[in-house]
Amino acid sequence: MAELQLVVVTPETTLIDQPVNGLRFPLFDGQIGVLPGRAPVVGRLGYGELSASSAGGDLSYFIDGGFVQINGSVVSILTDRAMPSNEIDRAEAQAALETANSRIPTTDEEFTSKQRDLERARRMIQLAK
Amino acid sequence: MAKARAIVKRLKAVKNIRKITRTMELIATARFKKAMDRASEAAAYTQKISEIVADLSATDLDFSHPLLETPASDENSTLLVLTSNRGLCGGYNASVMRNANSRLKELREEDKNITLEVSGKRGIALLKFQGESMDEQFTNFEDQPGFDEVDVIAKRYIEEYESGKLNRLDIAYTRFETVSRQSAVVETLLPIGSLGGDEKDGDADKAVDYEFLPSAAEILEEIVPAAFKARLFKCFLDAAVSEQIARMVAMKGATENAGDMISTLSMQYNRARQTQITSELSEIIGGVAALE
Repeated sequence: MAELQLVVVTPETTLIDQPVNGLRFPLFDGQIGVLPGRAPVVGRLGYGELSASSAGGDLSYFIDGGFVQINGSVVSILTDRAMPSNEIDRAEAQAALETANSRIPTTDEEFTSKQRDLERARRMIQLAK
Repeated sequence: MAKARAIVKRLKAVKNIRKITRTMELIATARFKKAMDRASEAAAYTQKISEIVADLSATDLDFSHPLLETPASDENSTLLVLTSNRGLCGGYNASVMRNANSRLKELREEDKNITLEVSGKRGIALLKFQGESMDEQFTNFEDQPGFDEVDVIAKRYIEEYESGKLNRLDIAYTRFETVSRQSAVVETLLPIGSLGGDEKDGDADKAVDYEFLPSAAEILEEIVPAAFKARLFKCFLDAAVSEQIARMVAMKGATENAGDMISTLSMQYNRARQTQITSELSEIIGGVAALE
């Protein structure tokens, strides 16, 4: 079976560059699953878990928005921040959720940014379990 | 005798200095390697961003974004100067400041509202000496600038630019070209001139028919700020790498000069000692001759 090459890059470094059998990650409006042979896609990412299954075991990362580009067998994920799920600091995420919750938006932009921060913190807490 | 002793003292001092500069050179080399690795790892991100931009531009999309447009007025200008926190790095800070100052003068002549932001203790000290007032000072960027720190600054710029408080952003820093070549430049980061970056090769024939989720326009909206952040971050990384190279070169020169000085001084010392022995000998001989 053909394999996918998963490449995760952050502005600081290339985090992952390895072959995987399949992967799942959040797009802006929900989860997407990618198996070998996927049609080319450029998409915006949401917040949440990137999980991939490879020969060496399963991967689980938290990704913090960004973009995805799928071209042939290469899946490139560009994100501001990515960390292994087991390294998420639950207390910190909880605190971020509370500060986001206590903000009172007065404009549309503030409202969307609040929603975004809430979503992000919730996903992090979900993954931290 | 006095002269020989003075030379010995000086010789010791120079030897100590050589030890220090030699160590500093080694440290700078190690740091340079680290900074260089980081910079090349970061290049992958910039490259991917321009890849996606290239994909987007293949879709006949109207490239319009607040960050791309030149604002109607250019009243409010910001100049960001990237210098080092530490000295002893040759002409590194001086050349950045020279560029920054000429840019500052240009802006003054055009009667703009200038916001001056400086990173690095050296630049802050120099500008303070010139009597400039700085609106923002950063000293938290060492040889390994973190993206999170740059992100905060980038977000502020984007916000200000979109709300019209900032019309133009210039950055004075040292651009890393190759290991043996870095040049101090002033670059305009906002408005973003072109997104495509340096490579504008027209390999349109291998264009892939992408599916855009949500749509090309919405992705563009998100990718422009990301590209700007990546660019700003690259400036910081370049500055960090160039600083280490400048220090490495300066310290190498200092070590070599110290070596030259040591050989001159030891020759002088040997001569002085020989002269002294000769004069003592002739005094003794003279004394003996007087007794006979």
